[in-house]
Amino acid sequence: MNILEKLQTIDRRILYLLIAAVIAIPLLQRPSRHPRIVFSEVKNAYTTLSKVPKNKIVIISCVWGPGTRAENEPQTKAIIKHLLMEDTRFVMLSWDQLGSQLTYEDAVEIGKQLGKRYGKDWVHLGYNPGPMYAIIRGLGKSFTGVFKVDRFGKKLKDIPATKNVRDYRDIGAVVEITPSGTVSSWIAYFNQPYNVPLVFCPTAVMSAEAYPYLDSGQLDGMLNGVIGAAQYETLIGMENERTYAAAAAWALSCAHIFIIVLIVLGNLGYALSRRSAPQRGGGRTG
Amino acid sequence: MISFWHWISAPRHGWQLTAFIFGALAIGCGVLALLASTTPRYRKTLVAAVTFLAGLYYAIEFLIPPSLWPLDPPRNPFSEVQPLVGTLTQIIWSFALFLGVWNLFLIHGRAVAKRSRGWYNSAAFFISFFAIMGAGLLKDYAHGPVAKVSQSVFTILFSGFLTSLDATMFSLIAFYIVSAAYRAFRVKSLEAGLMMAAAGIIMLALVPVGAEITNWLPSTGFLSALRVERMGYWLLTSPNMAAQRAIAFGIAVGGLAMGLRIWLSLERGNFFDRQL
Repeated sequence: MNILEKLQTIDRRILYLLIAAVIAIPLLQRPSRHPRIVFSEVKNAYTTLSKVPKNKIVIISCVWGPGTRAENEPQTKAIIKHLLMEDTRFVMLSWDQLGSQLTYEDAVEIGKQLGKRYGKDWVHLGYNPGPMYAIIRGLGKSFTGVFKVDRFGKKLKDIPATKNVRDYRDIGAVVEITPSGTVSSWIAYFNQPYNVPLVFCPTAVMSAEAYPYLDSGQLDGMLNGVIGAAQYETLIGMENERTYAAAAAWALSCAHIFIIVLIVLGNLGYALSRRSAPQRGGGRTG
Repeated sequence: MISFWHWISAPRHGWQLTAFIFGALAIGCGVLALLASTTPRYRKTLVAAVTFLAGLYYAIEFLIPPSLWPLDPPRNPFSEVQPLVGTLTQIIWSFALFLGVWNLFLIHGRAVAKRSRGWYNSAAFFISFFAIMGAGLLKDYAHGPVAKVSQSVFTILFSGFLTSLDATMFSLIAFYIVSAAYRAFRVKSLEAGLMMAAAGIIMLALVPVGAEITNWLPSTGFLSALRVERMGYWLLTSPNMAAQRAIAFGIAVGGLAMGLRIWLSLERGNFFDRQL
């Protein structure tokens, strides 16, 4: 086997080991440096949430679970931190059984760091099985008509953060954090009819689908995967902290370069082997 | 009528909650028994009628503006009950969880009972199911040291096992993508070459290192267009957006046709033709 063939047939176990190392090293090292460039959609998301009036609440709708925790959790944490720093009250919904516990723990952790209290500054409504469209549609008409109790069974009318929330007029923005295409339900049934700002936080693979909505103004901002979360952290003054999002941004950088190098190597071997192979039909003999 | 529904859907606790659960189960079983005693043709007609009425509610509520209703102040009366409909659909959807668990019990119970190949995997399902359910219930409802131990067991099962296993399954995609990209991504035509160039630019533009690579280029003027993040942004907001709009439009038209077929019970094949 010559070098050209070897370039095209590297053992997949070696590739697996290499990609594991390439991703793990930055995550273990945890560099504090955040991305220098902040995308315009991330800046718009920050501006949108900064402008929410203090007498309104923000709804954080979390569709994610452990499968996409690596991307969606940093987004959730960055948004929670920003809202708590701004003294903007928020309500969290979870559409995933496991995600319900994870998002609650995230808010508890950041709330403790900033000295914020559950019930006064934020509320978690627990797991909701859906269907999203019916609940979202009803939410605009009556918030407490659709959500009656929090995750502990306490009536929302008795909780300081939610007791005055009637309908869409008391909702300042919605943040949808999701690994799937659920944002269209919010656009169609809530944000567009009631003109409430919407910030979208998808996994990176889903973000390409959101650009038409950003262009049409139906989305007010977007955090593009964990990179968007790292950029958002820069905006809320965490650019020198050793966070998971910053480490993941560099881990992804290394992984993307590694994949590009592998593709180039594979194609190099392919192109050279084609050139050195005998022409079909042989040479001219006449 | 509305006040009755508000009363029936209000949150309850203690003996009232128990009575409502058992009452709803008894009524549900009664309705199912009634349906089972009728002919299949009648059952299909009934399902079609309920489907049509449910769809009709949403069509009227969503499509007819409040100004067209002869009411003062102008409002759509169907919108008034929307939160209630939301609650009802939530309850109906919750049955999907029950059906899912029921289905798992049937499949894995059969496997364990028959000692079929890999039956121990099915036994593992039952052990995991009851272990996390027991720990979850005990941590919430028990008191004293039992609650403390249950909390620790629940944390180990939930954070140690469940979330880690779920994340592990998803992260396997990374290894698969690396192997697939290396083996399958060959530039055999002009189109494949263009695709590889676009993919390479997007991959670099979306990560911080992309911006670092072309950071030496000016941030304004003609040459700034060659910065990786600018090229990536242009690809996302021009060719990608046009393609996404076309796909979304096609899906919307297809979804409308499909929705109409289901609403009017015209859909055939698979589930729709099965004996009810």
